[in-house]
Amino acid sequence: MDEVDLLILGAGPAGMAAAAEAAGAGLVVALLDEQARPGGQIYRDVTAVPPARAAILGPEYRAGRPLAEGLADPRIRHIPGATAWKIDPDRTIAYSVDGKAALIRGRRLLIASGALERPVPIPGWTLPGVMTAGAAQILLKQSGILPRRAVIAGSGPLLYLIAAQMVRAGTPPLALVETQTRGDLLAALPHLPGAIRGWRSMAKGLGWIAELKRAGVPRHRGARDLAVDGAGRAEALALTAGGRRRTIPCETVLLHEGVVPNIQATRLLGLPHRWDQAQRCFVPRHDRWGETPLPGIHVAGDGAGIGGALVAELSGRLVGLCAAAALGRLDPVERDRRAAPLFRTLARERAVRPFLDAAYPPGPQTLSPADGTIVCRCEEVTAGEIRRHARLGCKGPNQAKAFGRAGMGPCQGRFCGLAVTAILAEANGQSPDETGYFRIRPPIKPVTLAEIAAMAPTGPDKDSA
Amino acid sequence: MDAEYAIIGGGVVGLSLAWGLSKRGHRVLVLDGSDGGFRASRGNFGLVWVQSKGLTEPAYARWSQRSAAAWAGFAAELGEATGRDLALRQEGGYDFHLDEAELEAKVRLFQGLRARLGGDYPFEVLGHNALKREEPKIGPKVAGAILHHQDGHVNPLRLLQALAADVRRMGGRVLTGQVVTDVAGGDGFAMTCADGTRHCAAKVVLAAGLGAMDLGPKLGFAAPIRPQRGQVLITEKLPKLMNRPSGIIRQVDEGGVQIGDSKEEVGFDDSVTLEVAATIAARAVAIYPALARAQLVRSWGALRIMSPDGLPIYQQSPTMPGAYLVTCHSGITLAAAHARFLPAWLDDAADAPDLEVFSERRFALS
Repeated sequence: MDEVDLLILGAGPAGMAAAAEAAGAGLVVALLDEQARPGGQIYRDVTAVPPARAAILGPEYRAGRPLAEGLADPRIRHIPGATAWKIDPDRTIAYSVDGKAALIRGRRLLIASGALERPVPIPGWTLPGVMTAGAAQILLKQSGILPRRAVIAGSGPLLYLIAAQMVRAGTPPLALVETQTRGDLLAALPHLPGAIRGWRSMAKGLGWIAELKRAGVPRHRGARDLAVDGAGRAEALALTAGGRRRTIPCETVLLHEGVVPNIQATRLLGLPHRWDQAQRCFVPRHDRWGETPLPGIHVAGDGAGIGGALVAELSGRLVGLCAAAALGRLDPVERDRRAAPLFRTLARERAVRPFLDAAYPPGPQTLSPADGTIVCRCEEVTAGEIRRHARLGCKGPNQAKAFGRAGMGPCQGRFCGLAVTAILAEANGQSPDETGYFRIRPPIKPVTLAEIAAMAPTGPDKDSA
Repeated sequence: MDAEYAIIGGGVVGLSLAWGLSKRGHRVLVLDGSDGGFRASRGNFGLVWVQSKGLTEPAYARWSQRSAAAWAGFAAELGEATGRDLALRQEGGYDFHLDEAELEAKVRLFQGLRARLGGDYPFEVLGHNALKREEPKIGPKVAGAILHHQDGHVNPLRLLQALAADVRRMGGRVLTGQVVTDVAGGDGFAMTCADGTRHCAAKVVLAAGLGAMDLGPKLGFAAPIRPQRGQVLITEKLPKLMNRPSGIIRQVDEGGVQIGDSKEEVGFDDSVTLEVAATIAARAVAIYPALARAQLVRSWGALRIMSPDGLPIYQQSPTMPGAYLVTCHSGITLAAAHARFLPAWLDDAADAPDLEVFSERRFALS
């Protein structure tokens, strides 16, 4: 088995920064990532993107380039195209590259698997022609492709960024439909003074909104009762705004209600999580160095709580310093000296979060979908069925999964997990913490039986393999 | 009194009893534990299985056969009441062997049991070619199989859900999130739960799986049970690959192929290990080579509830009459017997089955 000082899962800003910091202190680092090139979702393909596309994507995207180039350090082994499917508390990861499985172990382990877009279960969301706004952005980053005649709907700053990128690319969205309300904005106002410390982020957001205004993109705010209409594929987005029901004909609906930590890996490890009411998601418990209650296992980046790319980078650096000190490569005093400015910048970058979280909450349809709406796409389980399971005594998602298969499909609840917990919590009058989450089991990504069988100590197939 | 019978444990064993007792007109209260508890009812393999049960104790083989024979009627009645198809198929099941000598040794054991059962043990031995006619997808390394005609399988999760729904429909109270931490006798029985709630009933049935290890002694039982881990893999949904289940591979009604099973003495550790997953995956691929390309979507570890001899324990408390211990590692196979026959034993009715051989006293004697 391979063994390294610091094993990192995820080559986004947190993973790349941790790798650079740790390698700089002399640690041997391995960086596992699913993609062919480093960058994560936020800086996807940043090392390979043509200049014209980089211009569309903007300066906040291009900022990822130096980070990705930092992986050139000979002490860093970047393992691209790697799907991690089993992670053990002893810091061993089983992963596959090109259909071949292998094991690697770290003396320290960093889980930096980032965020997922929160699924937006509205009627018709499983129709062809509906995708997440983030998926559309990945298409742009990777292939320079953008959907035409698209409506973009939901809430959150990323919505503005993607809409602005569509404008720059010459394919502006037909409309921007926002689910957040004036009430949400009022609730966010008390956080505004704090947010001023993070004025750079705020200024960026206002800039994107101005770009959309100049381009004449119609904006519908406080939208309710969203539904995708269409026979066999998306043909229109229906919504109610300003007291009026309207239908916007389109070919594509891009949905986005913010991002949430991808907790499959940390749940698989059995780490404790807590419900973050402001961000309406579970986050793994960790200290200020990203260390979890499992010794030597860290989290950083959006997977440790949504903070965005800069917060991810800073938290990754801190893990790199902490790992170097823990392994005796960095004097603790020196660690603290290097960490102090990082902690200060981190506090400033995080200052804008409470305002954003309050101003752009996921809409009521996302938090409590209508009975007829599918929640678990893999097994086609509706919100109404989950509520029926609650009436049959299901207090938590694991019994509900046994009763109705929600979360049993290939994604293992990665997409429906939060919705199932939220629906059960509401139906049972419990908190999300009391309700709990799916018990996540390996493989966290599908793997073939042949790949697993090849790892048998003495399998009957060994001789013919 | 909240109920005539309180049943501690809302898994398949407890709910099967609650269902049967409800049918006999009793008011039942089922106290079910937490969402995250060890639950064999969620982790089991879904077999309604006769072969290999009671190889050294024919009474257990007979009890399993009696339950298997009652399953069709039980599934039909439960399915009709709840509108759920339990996907019961009892068209026989295999014991695959990759090794001729192992197959022959197993056949001799089966022959011995058949003799002790007076011939009522319908199995046949299929060599590779005969097996290939039944299961065209088997691989070249399979030496043969024992086909036992009383075996079958069911969707155990639909069974669990149907029981939970039908016990309620019949007026039974099923309370979930009720982790019983203490139970005391006196005038009836009083149960205290972790959240402080209390319940009482005239009689109590301890059907709490591994929870009986703690609660059993409070009611005067030895409850000599232990966890035994089994690991299970399940693939993506596949087109039909096999006609009948085996003890280690079956295709579930939704299409996934389920692969087991390990027997590990690791205490209360229900995690999965790469070594075991790889070993059972390799064995499954040797039997059905097409599985090599199948995606594994999930694996899990579940804890069997094992007695020292592997047989069920049915015992009335010697010191606290009215308290019963019901525990077994084959809650799916025995669900029909527990629903149809065991309630009469709890009621001490004339048609009660003779369960003396399953008493806890057998362990004291040995």
